[in-house]
Amino acid sequence: MHLKLFMLSASSVVLWIAPLAALDKTLDINKALQGASLTAAIACAVTAGNIAREQAEQNEIEEIKTRAITADVVDEIATSAYISQQQRQQEAEQILNPCEHLERSLALTYDEGERSEPITQNQLAEPEKNGSENGESERIERIHQLQAKGWGKAKIILEIWGVTKGGSPKYKAAEAEYKRLIQEEGGF
Amino acid sequence: MRAVYLGNYFIAGCIAFSLLGWVASLHPIAFRAVLCLLAAIAIGWGLSWLLDFSLSKLLKISVADLQALLISGLGMLLIGLGVFLCT
Repeated sequence: MHLKLFMLSASSVVLWIAPLAALDKTLDINKALQGASLTAAIACAVTAGNIAREQAEQNEIEEIKTRAITADVVDEIATSAYISQQQRQQEAEQILNPCEHLERSLALTYDEGERSEPITQNQLAEPEKNGSENGESERIERIHQLQAKGWGKAKIILEIWGVTKGGSPKYKAAEAEYKRLIQEEGGF
Repeated sequence: MRAVYLGNYFIAGCIAFSLLGWVASLHPIAFRAVLCLLAAIAIGWGLSWLLDFSLSKLLKISVADLQALLISGLGMLLIGLGVFLCT
């Protein structure tokens, strides 16, 4: 294709210059030859131009394809590098902070266990019991907080139940509940 | 390759103007006809330079491309007629 292109281009130039330079313009036959050669030269030049244009368009398409493939490869490499970086970061986090990882795992396990439990009829029928359980858990939590502060039993009972120390039945009931909560907590 | 096809079209234009000169050399009437044609081409060329912005919008090409076409057309005319007259 390139040879054909070169030959057409060269012949167009030769057919353009040679008859005009070599042939005498006064003779009719020479004029006719010049006209024919000029027409042939135009045909050769236009044909060569068309071939070269087709080649140029094909080359542009090939370049676009190459650029697209290169961009795909670069994108894939960048994606894999990003993923591997994320993985390394996660591994580093796991190594550096095992306590947090353990807490997260435990929290997830607890959530899953809670969710997987079927809802029993008792749970549906006794919402008040759940409310009291929540109250108990809050009381237990409050007891732990006050114990951590160094408070004694009588002061805790006064704080939570609002009952002063003595032989009153209210205090005894509060004391009994306090002991029960402490024991339950110890049992768990 | 783009330069090759542009070069070939440029040579084709030059040869076309040489052919025009050859036609003009055949007969005095043909000479006048070619002169009229060249005058028309010159007027069109000048108008294209003056109306380059509106013409570029009409042809949907850039102004730079239009100016390049006009300059190359002038170059074809000069080279083609110059080759014909000097040989």
